[in-house]
Amino acid sequence: MNEPIYFVAAPMLIAIISLFWREPSTTRRLFGVLSAAFITLGALYFVITLSLNEQRLILNVGDWKAPLGITLVLDPLAAIMLFLSGFSALASLLYSMFELPTRSEHPLRQPLLFFLLTGINLSFVTGDLFNLFVAFEIMLISSYALLTLEANDWDIKQSFPYLTINLLGSTLFLAACGLAYSIYGSLNFAHMASQTTALAGDSRLLVLATLLMCVFSIKAGIFPFYYWLPNSYPILPTPLAAFFAGMLTKVGIYVLFRLFTTVLPHDLTSLHTLLAWLAGATMIFGVLGAVSRNFIRGILSFHILSQIGYMALAIAFFTPLSLAACVFYIIHHIIVKATLFLVGGTVSSLNGTDDLSRTGGLWKVAPILGLCFLLQALSLAGIPPLSGFWGKYLIFVEGIRLHDYLLVAAALLAGILTLYSMLKIWLGAFWSPLPDSGELHLHETRWKPLTAVVAAMTIVSLAIGLGAEHVYRISAVASRMALDQSGYVAAVMAALGKGGF
Amino acid sequence: MQLDTALLVGVLFGLSIYLILLRSFVQILFGFTLLSTSVNLFLLATSGSPDGKTVPIIGAGPNPVDPLPQALILTAIVIGFGVTAYLVVLLYRIFLDHDTIDAQDLFHPPKKTDDNSP
Repeated sequence: MNEPIYFVAAPMLIAIISLFWREPSTTRRLFGVLSAAFITLGALYFVITLSLNEQRLILNVGDWKAPLGITLVLDPLAAIMLFLSGFSALASLLYSMFELPTRSEHPLRQPLLFFLLTGINLSFVTGDLFNLFVAFEIMLISSYALLTLEANDWDIKQSFPYLTINLLGSTLFLAACGLAYSIYGSLNFAHMASQTTALAGDSRLLVLATLLMCVFSIKAGIFPFYYWLPNSYPILPTPLAAFFAGMLTKVGIYVLFRLFTTVLPHDLTSLHTLLAWLAGATMIFGVLGAVSRNFIRGILSFHILSQIGYMALAIAFFTPLSLAACVFYIIHHIIVKATLFLVGGTVSSLNGTDDLSRTGGLWKVAPILGLCFLLQALSLAGIPPLSGFWGKYLIFVEGIRLHDYLLVAAALLAGILTLYSMLKIWLGAFWSPLPDSGELHLHETRWKPLTAVVAAMTIVSLAIGLGAEHVYRISAVASRMALDQSGYVAAVMAALGKGGF
Repeated sequence: MQLDTALLVGVLFGLSIYLILLRSFVQILFGFTLLSTSVNLFLLATSGSPDGKTVPIIGAGPNPVDPLPQALILTAIVIGFGVTAYLVVLLYRIFLDHDTIDAQDLFHPPKKTDDNSP
């Protein structure tokens, strides 16, 4: 079965083909948009079929059986993530097509975006720890390049902390690979999971799990490893910032989810407790940072952190319901966050800045944009019946059932402060009249198609909120299958190939 | 027991973290180079003691050393080379744009000395 590799090979091919164009042209942009749409639809097909049949598709690369060869696994959770990455890339490409005239787009933006997508998708389908390291490196090198590609001379320094902290994280990841190899004698997820009972009570596992948790906390931006994020994301151009904000930290969350459910033993309760408290701190500090900022991209960047806190908390509770809530929350969050960044970019193209003291008066000239922002902001804060409410509701229910009242209180407080800082953007950019120092660039007609992109994403997000039952059912299947270690091991070991034990 | 390798890995890790925490770009760069070397040594140590073992080539003899960590190190070296090259170029660009090789001055520029106000 070759299906898992399609989602890695396709973006890489598209990136290479895009390089042959050299100069950005309308044809190249259309090619990028259409192929991203095709990848997204393909992933949606697998989300539906795999979750209906509760099935895993497995590819042994080079026909070598697990645990000797490299295994790629496409299960419902991976398919959901592939859909979300394809969808964010599509939104980013569409926005970038309408935002900039062809001649002012950087020729390397589109190829690098697809190389980034290659790395992200490989980290979703991989069934091997070292291959995951390679996927992360492809993703990180592309992201370093995108971060500095169009940065101006003043902002370039903000990429320095991003680079150094991620380099440190990658090196620790490599050390964790070595540690895992010395404990398990293999880096294959299925082979590692199959030794859970044989290694029960081995204290080295706790060291390995802690190291892996540190590594992916750095990638996901969990307290106390988050300071690189809020300053580096605002230097990106709007469509790329939306893609980074939506996807990159969520790859860290996905890997934490995958490792804790599928690979590592389920009885690491002390580590789960630690993760829960770190998640609580991430929520509070992230949202306080957002309250302190006064420009839209800064506020939104800090909100990524506080939302990461909710997802990490859902993983840390480690009950079937909270894990399903985590998958639901990831689906909701990626779309909402990318939309909010795109709204922020449209506001700054209308007002010439996203400094809230110099923006205003947009409700009268762009009511649809305002409506989209309001819906997505309320969804982020968790107002029913929007998509953010359902994920938060399930997490709160599990928190109360587990008697973790302090953490639930922290999550509620973070929700209220989220609403406050979102209202700050709403009042500053849309509701208040234009200040004397501000200006409106209405003669630019580009903001209308940009609003259309934002509105389309808002509709998808609304559909998730209103059709929450269906999305929840898919999330529940995905998380249940990720938790089912014996099923995962059996499926991977049964896949055809040569060699093997 | 590979106490010597373990100690060497520990010392190298400590040294590289110390260098990374210094302020000068050059020292930070050397810190990262040393860090990737020390983690590669750590990976090599996971294949166990090489005493009495042969190279992992077919026909070289019985009892070969575990070749997988070596394959991992090769991959890690290639990736580390690419990232280090990128880091050098980025640091050079930051030096050109901000005229400093001091990480502290980069984010908290010193006050101008010709400013007479207190």
